[in-house]
Amino acid sequence: MLGVILRRLRDLVIVLFVVGTALFFLLRSIPGDPAAVLLGTKASPEQLERLRHDLGLTGPLYEQYLHWLGNVLTGDFGTSIKYNLPVLQMIFDNIAPTLTLAIASTVISFMLTVLIVTWVTVAPNNRVARLVNRATQFGLALPEFWLALLAVYLFALTFGWFPTGGYTPLFEDPATAITQLALPVAVLVVGQTAFLTITMEESVLGELTQLYLRTARAKGVGERRIMLRHVLPNSMLPVLTTVGLNFASLIGGVVVIESIFIIPGLGTTLLGAVYARDFPLIQGGVMFIAFLFVLMNLLVDLAYALIDPKVRVS
Amino acid sequence: MTADLATAPTTTDPTRVRTFVRRNPTLIVTGGLLILITLVVMLLPPFLPDPNAADPVNRLLSPSGEHLMGTDKYGRDLFSRWASAGRVSIGMTLLITLCSVALGTFIGLVAGYFARAGRVIMRIVDAWMAFPSIILAIVFAVVVGPGMLSELLAVTIIFTPYTARIIRSRVLGLTTRTYVKAARVSGMGPWKTLAVHILPNTLPLAVVQCVLLSAGAMLIDGSLSFLGLGISPPTATWGNMVADGRTYLQTHPTMVIFPGLTIALFVFLLNLTGSALRAFVDPRARMLLDQQRRQRRARR
Repeated sequence: MLGVILRRLRDLVIVLFVVGTALFFLLRSIPGDPAAVLLGTKASPEQLERLRHDLGLTGPLYEQYLHWLGNVLTGDFGTSIKYNLPVLQMIFDNIAPTLTLAIASTVISFMLTVLIVTWVTVAPNNRVARLVNRATQFGLALPEFWLALLAVYLFALTFGWFPTGGYTPLFEDPATAITQLALPVAVLVVGQTAFLTITMEESVLGELTQLYLRTARAKGVGERRIMLRHVLPNSMLPVLTTVGLNFASLIGGVVVIESIFIIPGLGTTLLGAVYARDFPLIQGGVMFIAFLFVLMNLLVDLAYALIDPKVRVS
Repeated sequence: MTADLATAPTTTDPTRVRTFVRRNPTLIVTGGLLILITLVVMLLPPFLPDPNAADPVNRLLSPSGEHLMGTDKYGRDLFSRWASAGRVSIGMTLLITLCSVALGTFIGLVAGYFARAGRVIMRIVDAWMAFPSIILAIVFAVVVGPGMLSELLAVTIIFTPYTARIIRSRVLGLTTRTYVKAARVSGMGPWKTLAVHILPNTLPLAVVQCVLLSAGAMLIDGSLSFLGLGISPPTATWGNMVADGRTYLQTHPTMVIFPGLTIALFVFLLNLTGSALRAFVDPRARMLLDQQRRQRRARR
């Protein structure tokens, strides 16, 4: 158990190092002088020199790299050019809305998935159950940005049930926050539930081919009990992996939703950084998302070890 | 199950193809519709008005007989923009898919055949697999400037691992076959064995992978164009048409509805066709499909 954690922590460091280094050289390979681009044509040579120094663009490339690496190791990810704030602080200021969206939509779609798949597995003859199950899977084909705009058109502009966008911290004013979150979360839930139901259904079907079911039936266990006690719990593992990995990519994928519903999250910040060519912010933001990604992997592995005794032994 | 796999007829057997299509009639419908939409979009533009011709008098018209989808804020005919956008969006989807499947097949072949290198390659592949594609596209949009190249690079990189994993597991199964061993024993080099004996056997799988991945490619292409990170205006794509229509959502919702609906329909058809085809070449998927069929029969 401890070995797994240590190995994963080592992987985490390696991945961050690789992503950071790759990003460093990718961003440095952009033709032209970033300082000149940022300051425009009217900048004086002194201003250019100062900005270059601030950006860590002076000296040979390997020196710049070591300088950057040293800074990162001491927790200094640089200063955002556009906002003139430390990158790390910008990320933490903007992470709350993104996390709220990601957590809320993941939890809701996970529960929905388990409900729907359980229903259809226990009552395979129920037409409504099968219809709901099939209908969820349509969600896989719907482009998120389009679904979001349709939701805004119908439920915000036409019926006026929800606001068209905006963000209020959940604990500051729960009532407003929930009405504002309803539409973006619902849109995310549609896509995620589709994906998760398919994963779980495949997993259930795979489980149904197992021979232990025959044993269970032979000793007289009821069909319903077989499904609830054996098949469904055993098919949860792949779903858990998908939830974990999906959560990390959701943090990045939420960009579209954030930009439509005008939510000041990590995605919007990152997108703004691209338009403004704010290199330190881009670098820090992407590394942070990579960090979350590896961290989720780690958590999924640990959850595996807790759920599945086989993993713990090996 | 394994015996079944070893003696399973080859995927190119014509009678098997025919039975398969007969058993899955939806395949003809979905595949036919896909081809139909593609043909309409590819052949129609020469007969339509110029998609970029502004006509300030006829701004923001609602759909009518003359302008099937109405006009936009410059008076451009949205139906011709829709058709020419289809050319770009479908073209981009195909390009991304072909690049990533080709690259993924190559990586899969190498990783499957050379065991030691394969383990290292697969660890890397696993790590990069679920990295958020939009974030990667953002990085490339910064590095090479937003547009076709950045989108192609980013999405290809994201999609390659999927194919690589599937092809690799197929190759792992093939390397133990007697004809591959025979080739190796008779002195055929590894690269030639891969090209002559193994590659042809992975092709059906690669084709199916193309169909399945193109669904995802079209969605990502849409999102990136929508965010302004893909192909940029005035060239129309279905994604940036939705972005253009966003401003007029309250007054002219059709500007958003039509292009988005096309993407949804196209992706839906690709998904259906892809999973039907997958059942044809992938024994595991076939097993699951049979299982479903048996369940359904048991219910009756």
